[in-house]
Amino acid sequence: MIARAMIRLKRMAVLLLGLATMARAADSPAPVDFNREVRPLLSEYCFQCHGQDASQRKAGLRLDTRAGALAVREGKQAVFPGKPEASALLRRIQSNDPDQLMPPPETQRSLSAEQKAVLKRWISEGARYDQHWAFVPPRRLTPPGPARPIDAWIQSRLAREGLAPSPPATPEAWLRRVSLDLTGLPPALDELNRFSNAVQTQGEPAWASEVDRLLSSPRFGERMAIDWLDAARYADTHGFNNDSARSMWRWREWVIESFNANLPYDRFITEQLAGDLLPQATLDQRIATGFSRNHVINSEGGIIDEEYRVEYVADRVRTFSTAWLGLTLECARCHDHKFDPISQRDYYGLFAFFNNVPEHGEDGRIANAVPLLPAPTPLQRREMDRQLAEIKRLDRWIEQASRQALPLPPSPATPIQARSSAGRTERENTNVISLFLSCDNLLTQGQPFSFPSTPPELIEGVAQQAWKSQRGPLARLDKGILHFTKPATVALWIRPDENNSRDVALFSNVSYSGNPAQQGFGKGQEIRLMDGQIEVRWSDFFPAYALRVRGESAPLRAGEWRHLAVVLGGSRSAADVRIFLDGEEIPTRVLYDGLTSKDAPSTPYQIGAELTPGAPSFQGAVDELRILGRAPRSGEIRAWFAEHAEHLGTRAGTGIPSGARHITSLRRAPAKSTDAKLRANLEERDRLWENHLAYRRALPSTMVMSELPEPRPTFILRRGAYDAQGDRVEPSVPESTLAPWPAGAPKNRLGLARWLTHPEHPLTARVVVNRMWAQLFGVGLVKTLEDFGSQGEYPSHPELLDWLARDFIESGWNVKGLLRAMTLSQTYRQTSAAPPESFARDPENRLLARSPRLRLPAEVLRDQALALSGMLQESLGGESVFPYQPEELYKNIVVGADYPGTRWNLSRGRDLYRRSLYTFWKRTLPHPAMLTFDAPDREFCTVRRSRTNTPLQALILMNEPLFVEAAQRLGARIQSEGGIDLDARLRWAFRLATSRNPSVSELVELKRAMAPSLEGSENHAYASLAGILLNLDETISRE
Amino acid sequence: MNSSHCLRFESVSSRREFFGRAGLGLGAAALASLLAPSPAQATSGSRPTSHFLPRAKRVISLFQSGGPSHLELFDPKPLLKERFNEDLPDSVRRGQRITGMVAGQARFALQPSKYSFQRCGEHGTWISDLLPHTQRIADDLRVVRSMRTEAINHDPAITFFQTGSQQPGRPSFGSWIDYGLGSLNENLPAFLVLISVASDNKAGQGLLARLWGSGFLPSRHQGVQLRGAGEPVLYLENPDGVTRPHRRAMIDRVAALNRLRWRETGDPEIETRIAQYEMAYRMQASVPEVMNLDGEPESTFKLYGEDSRKPGTFARNCVLARRLAERGVRFIQLYHRDWDHHGGLTERMPVITRDVDQPSAALVSDLKQRGLLDDTLVIWGGEFGRTPYAQGEAKADHYGRDHHGKAFSLWLAGGGIQSGPAYGETDDFGFNVASDPVEIHDLQATLLHCLGLDHTRLTFRFQGRQYRLTDVHGHIVRGLLRT
Repeated sequence: MIARAMIRLKRMAVLLLGLATMARAADSPAPVDFNREVRPLLSEYCFQCHGQDASQRKAGLRLDTRAGALAVREGKQAVFPGKPEASALLRRIQSNDPDQLMPPPETQRSLSAEQKAVLKRWISEGARYDQHWAFVPPRRLTPPGPARPIDAWIQSRLAREGLAPSPPATPEAWLRRVSLDLTGLPPALDELNRFSNAVQTQGEPAWASEVDRLLSSPRFGERMAIDWLDAARYADTHGFNNDSARSMWRWREWVIESFNANLPYDRFITEQLAGDLLPQATLDQRIATGFSRNHVINSEGGIIDEEYRVEYVADRVRTFSTAWLGLTLECARCHDHKFDPISQRDYYGLFAFFNNVPEHGEDGRIANAVPLLPAPTPLQRREMDRQLAEIKRLDRWIEQASRQALPLPPSPATPIQARSSAGRTERENTNVISLFLSCDNLLTQGQPFSFPSTPPELIEGVAQQAWKSQRGPLARLDKGILHFTKPATVALWIRPDENNSRDVALFSNVSYSGNPAQQGFGKGQEIRLMDGQIEVRWSDFFPAYALRVRGESAPLRAGEWRHLAVVLGGSRSAADVRIFLDGEEIPTRVLYDGLTSKDAPSTPYQIGAELTPGAPSFQGAVDELRILGRAPRSGEIRAWFAEHAEHLGTRAGTGIPSGARHITSLRRAPAKSTDAKLRANLEERDRLWENHLAYRRALPSTMVMSELPEPRPTFILRRGAYDAQGDRVEPSVPESTLAPWPAGAPKNRLGLARWLTHPEHPLTARVVVNRMWAQLFGVGLVKTLEDFGSQGEYPSHPELLDWLARDFIESGWNVKGLLRAMTLSQTYRQTSAAPPESFARDPENRLLARSPRLRLPAEVLRDQALALSGMLQESLGGESVFPYQPEELYKNIVVGADYPGTRWNLSRGRDLYRRSLYTFWKRTLPHPAMLTFDAPDREFCTVRRSRTNTPLQALILMNEPLFVEAAQRLGARIQSEGGIDLDARLRWAFRLATSRNPSVSELVELKRAMAPSLEGSENHAYASLAGILLNLDETISRE
Repeated sequence: MNSSHCLRFESVSSRREFFGRAGLGLGAAALASLLAPSPAQATSGSRPTSHFLPRAKRVISLFQSGGPSHLELFDPKPLLKERFNEDLPDSVRRGQRITGMVAGQARFALQPSKYSFQRCGEHGTWISDLLPHTQRIADDLRVVRSMRTEAINHDPAITFFQTGSQQPGRPSFGSWIDYGLGSLNENLPAFLVLISVASDNKAGQGLLARLWGSGFLPSRHQGVQLRGAGEPVLYLENPDGVTRPHRRAMIDRVAALNRLRWRETGDPEIETRIAQYEMAYRMQASVPEVMNLDGEPESTFKLYGEDSRKPGTFARNCVLARRLAERGVRFIQLYHRDWDHHGGLTERMPVITRDVDQPSAALVSDLKQRGLLDDTLVIWGGEFGRTPYAQGEAKADHYGRDHHGKAFSLWLAGGGIQSGPAYGETDDFGFNVASDPVEIHDLQATLLHCLGLDHTRLTFRFQGRQYRLTDVHGHIVRGLLRT
């Protein structure tokens, strides 16, 4: 038995010599093909020490260029064209002396006799060097025959190998295949029936219209997204050992919708690489740039910020290069590439394009990391428009009605009582802090505040006096009194002067001095005035662990009194921050939502300046400051404003329009209004506005790319280390190796996208069509989807690859068109059944003498079970969902802190049955059914999944709750829809699962399956039958 | 070559085993030895059988996650007491980078350990009184006090320790071993993982599935987690109402239909599928059997401590580790969490050392008693050590320490390791290694050597490069090896 096995093994081993040798056996007299036969050998065995990396080069010899190989060094010549015997290279590889032998014995590598013979022939034939095939733009070639181009090339290669294509699959088998390949779902029974009929009646056009139907299904984009999510390392968590949740599902929706809309692939690239840099970039184009933000982000306390920021940039370069260039550029991060002509300088040239993001190394502990964007869905945008239209309508009505209402007499100046002290602290009830500073004098005796050495000047204020800034802060409060976890309200009147810096603190207990890397840097509470807008910052460790909310109103202007109020709900969430100007709540924008700590510092506050020594202070006046340890009462903020607004309005230059004053008065005292309807509408308007703003605050956020105003300088990093800066480099691409920079393109990511999508770029289209090919045929024409460099595999059908790439570009990068051509080919239509010799001859099916038979991807497996059982919920897009997952999965593994993403909150109802690409993806612990079926963890870009066959997979298909439930539901379906008698039901069910009728022997087996469980209930019997069907190798494979 | 190898050959020869697609790699090494010089190896890497005579057949790694303090456990430093609260001299720190946790500290005040140490055993190995049981087995151990790592944060450090790279994406140590040597048991996976947290349920830093992931190796080499609670292996148990005979009948039916399909399509992958369902069925019996401690005598629980009666504890996992070792599981990886003692080190240390001391020592004695220690390699340690200066203020009784990679300690026992006096030394501050440094890659190279594997020859080709666990580094530390 062993002997037989060994013989078989040896036979297999010979077959495994690889495709490159297959052709050679037949036509040995043909000259050696440098790219196909010689370069891989030089690359594998020589370039490590004799390649382009000068720092590693031994004996000064380089073999990656012809000049290097032919150079005479110390009287010797490595390669003497036409004279193998005079070539040192040949002597060294054939040497018996271990000190002479190349590659050196200690490298554990050796050339086979056959490989040595190839090198010898190559030298005899003149030692011709060709440029690496993948760096030459694809040529448009004429197909070798009248068949469709794909079939012509596939068949001509088969003919050369002495093989014939397989007969076509049955229409049903083809339909199941193409449905699974293009939509990730099996055909329904009526689709099978319709198609069988159509083939009968219409013939050939029926196949094309079926492909068109599938390509226009919304399910198409979902299927295509699966592979792209791997490449783009999409996940719902940040990774590393905190691995908390992030929100990037809007980007995922963009991907699905782009495929469905057949967005030309060059735009697919451009919008993801540089959507933010497009002229008048749309929200969707900005969302698309999340591609470069899908990388892992570390929030481990105490990491060195720059170290990780550099990692993120490196990850962008790696993803860019693997996904679109098909090159292992990351090898050139630490040194010149050993195999490909990519220098370390080239690497950092590309690095520079991605190095200008206003981001941090440590970020994302509890929410998205900057830069981010509110990203309403189209539905949400429509809803907001509707809300605003309704508000506008009411405003018009109120405007009309209030003009007709009785003008209100101006109130007299607010009665002045209890104003004898400038400030007072009191406890409103048991433990709510309340502080009021009237700013009417400069007495500090018995007050909870003090003045700086130059106290403020007293000027006319909104009530009586106000404080006007002199130098530094206006005043200093004794201690911090507001918490991070309790509600807070801060309100005051302010009047900025002309000469303010663009960013000053109005209220602050924060210092930005010290080491930004130190935990607790920038901790505290602040209200700032930045470019005329109000910004609220509650920080634990600035900026990553902070909430930052910016008001979006007309900018505050110099010389005008405005009433400002800031309200925090006490939840530490940015959605809980509200800003009011002149009594009215204004829209806000979340800049950061990462406040983690429960403990605010007790550092004293300053009015009008932060604590940072030397920081510019607020120039202007403040009045009537209130700090409350609670939320405002209904109407309270408006009352604070209105209290002084009416008589302020009578003074010149206050900036408060009289209409606003009037309406405010009406609102403040609706009882005064005689018009009940006006009163009701005013209240309704308030309610709508409040709801609208709450709606806006709850919009999903998504991480995006943006550029620093001043580009961050990029340096070559020695050994790739963040702190070993070498020469400064500018953004650049490997022009001489790949393609020239397009004339006039900007030196930024947008220019980079133009370079990448230039029709003469040698790699982009090849890499993309090759990946699509692999999606349909199991293996790429270049097997190494991720590496088109000299260590990658030579294409099995180079001409076909070129033709597809060229055609793809000329079709306007038409993805659906490309897939249509592939799926309608005869090559695709062949049956996957073949005699054992065929599998033995070409186990990986590189020649395509048959259709590949492949186990379905993890997502498709589960989606198919959902579809067959009738449970699939087909809604498109949306947030990630939490289907069944073992409760104990996270136990003992996830971080101890209760960050978002550390608990699995099981979905309810429909969301249990969504397609698998919507399942919450936790990078450090993805759903076991995904990992076990070979999905990557998405910590970094992956373009090729392995396809294994393990016992754990069997356990999932038999016992995972979703598959168990699917079997039960399918069992019920068989009973209700499968017909009356057992035979009919068995046939119905088998056809549903496999898209074909069972053979007689199969029917016998199915019947036997029903027999032993007759003792149990009928439901149980059908559920176990369904379980068998869902576990069949045929069901879980695409045949 | 035993009978199960023959069986395996018969079944793999017609399958795509060559491309790493089949299930648990029983006999993979033997297969590889036949294929070793063939070009298939050139494209998928070099998967040798033993390169030389292995001392160890299996590994038990008792990983202490979070960074245990060498200064409290294995590396006493009287100088720290003498110079209590003095500043760490710049000449010692030498600009070594430090974490953001302490980057803003005005000073680095030397912090002595409050715990006492004993010289233990024949060789007088220093071991802390926090580890009384470990003290008793000192003669079976080799404490290494000169470990060094580049990483200073948990994620990269633990990833480095387990995969040889600070960046994610490389196969874990256990996966490399599974890939290199395959399984010795056809009913259990070759690489199993057991995880526990501190007995008061403090968890601290999170772990990551990648630590037992297969990286770019085929995913069949990834570790399988055995759980203390719920199903011991995810989805192992049949759903309610499905009995073992039901399952047998179902698998038989699926196999029969699969065989019919195989006849139609000729796809050899179907045969592998049938075999994997059989293996799954066997695991449904073999895993509960190994997890069930009913047959263990009372003396076992006495040896490993009362905690070992409780599923999910480190002590329980140590008993299981011995049972798995007996059954030929190749790589048994334990994790115990919550060694990250930035503050409150003095509160946490007694709790966590109590969790791990007795069972760790018991495991070594138990293996020895059963004659398994000679061919079982046991590793005890974490991803880095802790700073000789306090995080925050130095205090006599209540203090904390930050991460420290420049020097730390761990111990090794069994399978090819020479027990003896502590290996390597640190300076008087416990900050830098003073003699015989052992880098992470050196440790990995040495452990592979004990398993009969040459770390420069255990390779896998990925993205055009031959990858190794030790990257392009690693020297075998001969001084640790039994001769």
